[in-house]
Amino acid sequence: MVASLQTDLNRTLRFHAGLIVLTNLRLLHLEEAVFHEWKLGDIHELVLEEMGPTVALHLQTGDSTAWHWRLTSRFLRDIEAFIVRFHELRGSNGNDDEAGDDEEEDLFAAEPASVPKLASKPLLRLLGFSRPWIGLMLCGLGLTVASTGAGLIGPWLTMSLVDDVLIPLQSATHEIDTARVYRFAGGLLGAAVLTWILKWATTYVVARLAERVTSQMRRATFEHLQKLSLGYFNKKRTGDLISRIGSDTDNISLFISINFIDFACDVLTIVFTAVVMFSINPVLALAALGPLPVVAWLVQWVRVRLRGGFAAASRAWSAMNSVLTDTIPGVRVVKAFAQEQREIERFRQQDQHIFDTNDRVNRTWSFFEPTIYFLTDIGLLVVWSVGAWCVAQEHTTVGVLTGFVLYVGKFYGRLDSMSRFVASAQRAASSAHRVFEILDVKPDMPVNKDTRQIGRLTGEIEFRDIKFRHGIRQIIRGFSLKIAPGEMIGLVGPSGAGKTTLINLVCRFFDVSEGAILVDGNDLREIDVMDYRRNLGLVLQEPYLFFGTIAENIAYGRPGATRAEIIAAARAARAHDFILKLADGYDSMVGERGQQLSGGERQRISIARALLVDPAILILDEATSSVDTETEREIQAALDHLVKGRTTIAIAHRLGTLRKANRLVVLENGVISETGTHDALMKHGGTYARLHAAMEEVNHA
Amino acid sequence: MKILTTGSSLALIDAEGVRHENVRPVRLFPLTDPQHWIALVGENGRELACVEDLNTLEDEPRQILAGALAQREFVPVINRIVNITRATDGHDWHVETDRGSTVFRLETDESIQSLGGSRLVIFDKAGTRYLIADVAALDRDSRRKLERYY
Repeated sequence: MVASLQTDLNRTLRFHAGLIVLTNLRLLHLEEAVFHEWKLGDIHELVLEEMGPTVALHLQTGDSTAWHWRLTSRFLRDIEAFIVRFHELRGSNGNDDEAGDDEEEDLFAAEPASVPKLASKPLLRLLGFSRPWIGLMLCGLGLTVASTGAGLIGPWLTMSLVDDVLIPLQSATHEIDTARVYRFAGGLLGAAVLTWILKWATTYVVARLAERVTSQMRRATFEHLQKLSLGYFNKKRTGDLISRIGSDTDNISLFISINFIDFACDVLTIVFTAVVMFSINPVLALAALGPLPVVAWLVQWVRVRLRGGFAAASRAWSAMNSVLTDTIPGVRVVKAFAQEQREIERFRQQDQHIFDTNDRVNRTWSFFEPTIYFLTDIGLLVVWSVGAWCVAQEHTTVGVLTGFVLYVGKFYGRLDSMSRFVASAQRAASSAHRVFEILDVKPDMPVNKDTRQIGRLTGEIEFRDIKFRHGIRQIIRGFSLKIAPGEMIGLVGPSGAGKTTLINLVCRFFDVSEGAILVDGNDLREIDVMDYRRNLGLVLQEPYLFFGTIAENIAYGRPGATRAEIIAAARAARAHDFILKLADGYDSMVGERGQQLSGGERQRISIARALLVDPAILILDEATSSVDTETEREIQAALDHLVKGRTTIAIAHRLGTLRKANRLVVLENGVISETGTHDALMKHGGTYARLHAAMEEVNHA
Repeated sequence: MKILTTGSSLALIDAEGVRHENVRPVRLFPLTDPQHWIALVGENGRELACVEDLNTLEDEPRQILAGALAQREFVPVINRIVNITRATDGHDWHVETDRGSTVFRLETDESIQSLGGSRLVIFDKAGTRYLIADVAALDRDSRRKLERYY
């Protein structure tokens, strides 16, 4: 088998599963009992046709369509890959006469082994993250065993203390054995001190482990996020991502450092006490452990109910974070439209949602804990009554009974804290699941393994019959364009024409669906992305400044730049003069919490930033449209400096800013409708002339 | 290029021999690199000249420049934090600096910023800068107090 393609519709567009299989000799189609096959040599072409939310795949023999399949658009990429495989196969068989004699591979032996990996249990995956600190983990485990054991010495000593010292003393049959009392007291003190020290060490070691694991998780998640494409971030809510990296990892940390260690302690204590109790008196032990099955059932009951509850709570948190990340940066708009009350209401609703989900959890919860307490009391009652009977029957002594009561107390106390573990384990599991969800996202930009390093480019760009589809929307419908090194291209066109998409493609934020973009003759997909982007300079409409000094912001693309280079870049970008006037000069803090700079000032800093990396290809996306005319003149002067000797692609709505462009390219509906100089296009009297006239009208109005 | 003192202000004769009055020196990196990159700014706010390294100047102009800079500069270096008390809108910092003892008010913790390493700069409510040259060099008590805010 060479390739296979699942189909999900039949020809009357009803959901119906089917399979198309491509082998080295045939194309097979299976649909329940129906089976079709075509010899590869008979197939003229496979043609994809998009029909809104569905897609048709036509199989052509000769000039007619012999068959067609319908699929929902979600298979678009699969279909494309399938067609590519088909072409590859035909290409390789091409003129090879012997192809027909080849044995067809066994259909099923070639079944791809890559069965999608089931998401393993999130808590078990956490263990994977602890692997680098296996030593610390073993150390924590050892300490836990030791401290639990030490905690059990006390009741043991009490038993002897009562039986061998206190009771004989009370019945006055013996003289008080002072030495023995001291020994017992000393023993009890020693046990307490030992437990104290061991618990101290355990808590610290395990807390450290928890921090290590979660810090590793946070870093891994952030690192992974940085590798994901722009498309992923467009789809995700910032607040949700923040809460996954922030509060979800914190839940996990709490779980490991507090609950997990407690749980280990609990299990050990329960096993130890059970063993000790059975070894002392099996009858009493049996009586004491009577309520245990009820507890086990209860734990299971609660676990199931809590599982959904915590997942809902985490989602509610994310939703609230999303409201915050939406409202706080957008505060100017909120205030300008006097919509504070509406935002308060929106927040209140999300907060109410958190309250409700937590309340639901708490309702289950509040019943659970007291019930465990109640069962503890019942257990004690049973021990006391059975114990009293045993003492009366002289099967056992008062001392043993006392020791037993202490053990039973410990036993059920542990059950109680174990029950708390149930809740936090569920919470941590749902948090871990949310974090792993990010880690499991495959970067959707196919990473070509054998990419080439290209170093410094001359800046020649060629678009070779490119098409781009986003979801089911065809944005770029196919055009070719060649840009010479050092040439400045002005991209013009109505909004939605695909200008920004084109730029995203040049930056390789996305890959073209069909065709190719070549720089210096290299296909973009075959060269190293990082290496390529070092040749790029980007100036956006809304320049983004990071929190930091102006100098750091200018040097963002080249952190090693010297102060002299930074100043030179700022001078060239016409930013030097306003920086001089700031109290801290180049050391002034800008960005979210820093100095308030005007749009034009921020823009000039971003131009300096682009200048400093000395890019071969420069991209200006509406770099001057958010500033006034005076500032625009300043920025224009800075830009003129910037574009010199670089291949430049500039988008502008103000057509005047493109006066330096060597060629203007008018983009309409995803295709190029006109190219030429300003004068030529005006003479031509097409779209550009119309746009220009409309703008003149606005300017003179 | 020649730098002159005229009474309380500076004058500059540039490379073309043009004389500029009321020139003021501005440090471009006052916090991270105060000894380099001193711009000389004219009355219109435009830069007339830029001195990359004070030490490359001859003695006389260097002293003139250093003197003029000292006149305009006020960044007390905190040697000890005596006390930090809560006020209605922030905290009052009682400190001992190289220019004597003072009290200043901080509105938020975010007014404390790292300059890399263990150098900190603190902006008070009025915009005055206070420098902590080396956090590690502060006494233990001061560090404890600082820790609560940074």
